[in-house]
Amino acid sequence: MAKAELRKPKPKSNPLKAADVTVIDYKDVALLRKFISDRGKIRARRVTGVTVQEQRKIAQAIKNAREVALLPYSGAGRG
Amino acid sequence: MRAYELMVIIDPDVEERSIDQTLEKFLNVVRNGGGTVDKVDIWGRRRLAYEIQKKTEGIYAVVNFTATPAIAAELDRQLSLNETIMRTKIIRPEEQKVSAE
Repeated sequence: MAKAELRKPKPKSNPLKAADVTVIDYKDVALLRKFISDRGKIRARRVTGVTVQEQRKIAQAIKNAREVALLPYSGAGRG
Repeated sequence: MRAYELMVIIDPDVEERSIDQTLEKFLNVVRNGGGTVDKVDIWGRRRLAYEIQKKTEGIYAVVNFTATPAIAAELDRQLSLNETIMRTKIIRPEEQKVSAE
């Protein structure tokens, strides 16, 4: 308990809960774009604030979307 | 029998009107194998996030169907043999659900 009092982590808002998403669809590019950086890299869970299970589904969906050229493998051209 | 979702990217040089027939021809693989085609959604022309076979756009189509795993594999194989099909992807929609709650 003492340690928790030292540094209170700021509770992150879960972006999926807010948007009321139950299915992470690889076709939903607008949703997936929230979870990638400008360079097209998948954002860390630390940054996104979703649960482990959700992050895994998101990562898989992004990879699926990349395969069908809905999302880039890398951001703007090279890199 | 399982539910599948197929996404195909078709060569943009193909006439948009003939896509229906081309797709139907392949979907007969599912029907003849005892499966059912539930939904065919042709998105139309769309810009690709990166070049595929030196092309910057493609015609997207999404098909929902129910079939046995063997039929799904056979459909994918036949699609990949066709030169006007630039890319295919078959997924199981149930795997996208976020578990819990």
